Amino acid sequence: MPLFVVHRELPGITPDALTGAGLRAKTCCAEISAEGRSVRWVRSFFLPETSQTHCYFEAGDAQVVEEANRRANIPFTKVTEVVEMTPEAA
Amino acid sequence: MLRKVNDDLEQVLRCAIQLAKGRGSGLVTVDDLLLACLGVSSRFGISQIGEWPIDLDSFGWPWRERRDPGRSNTSYSDGVVLLLEQAARIASAEVPGGPPTPLHVLACFAEHREGLMQALAERYGIDSFRWRAALARMGSESAPRSETAPSGPPQFLTPDQAAVWLGVHIQTLRGYIRSGKLPAFRIAGERALRIRSSDLAALLEPFQPAESDE
Repeated sequence: MPLFVVHRELPGITPDALTGAGLRAKTCCAEISAEGRSVRWVRSFFLPETSQTHCYFEAGDAQVVEEANRRANIPFTKVTEVVEMTPEAA
Repeated sequence: MLRKVNDDLEQVLRCAIQLAKGRGSGLVTVDDLLLACLGVSSRFGISQIGEWPIDLDSFGWPWRERRDPGRSNTSYSDGVVLLLEQAARIASAEVPGGPPTPLHVLACFAEHREGLMQALAERYGIDSFRWRAALARMGSESAPRSETAPSGPPQFLTPDQAAVWLGVHIQTLRGYIRSGKLPAFRIAGERALRIRSSDLAALLEPFQPAESDE
């Protein structure tokens, strides 16, 4: 299934707010998947220096990833498809 | 790394979505979240919080219904976003890195005076202090046991954490320790004090409405 990255800029974000966002992301993905469209939050990276986060979601298309993040009320700037590369696959 | 979140709180958040859908609303509000927290800990329609048996059926909310998934764009309100952050902050103050649980979410409603919490406060005579104290007792009673230590490690708080939970000034709490009212422990060879959560809960006594000092 395709992988997407959700770009966010969250100036002043706290670890506690990120905890809440992760919780909402998980539950909204579960809700949308129960509705019949598969979407899963895979992993996120937070860059403390720039307050950016990169959140990776697995889904059929970018629209369902955007919907999951809107329902979760987590602001984002854009969603783009990515190709994952790992040492194991190289 | 994000902290591991409590499975019960995930269940609560999904339940809150169902409650919003049940109201025909596209927005999950803090009232949905409060009702979901009470609902998941209820039996026979009663959620027992401390001395208060909260009758969930009396509010007329369709909290028992399980909606078919269907399509909907039900999203979390800004109020829920802020409340979850507050719950995570309380959880961190209790145990650094500790995940927020439904109890921490309920603790956030202690000062809440609108919507469903206002209705609960009026009907049951709930005040902030006793609400938080009841939740503190529930938390110490349901503390998880370690698999490797059958007796379970007791939960210890720093004086600052204990003051937050009791809702008193740190100097007030230190006064309780000095007077012997609240037992405390010292880490061997260190100055640092620790308070056992069960001793904290034991500090409280049920309020009798007939007491003349109220």
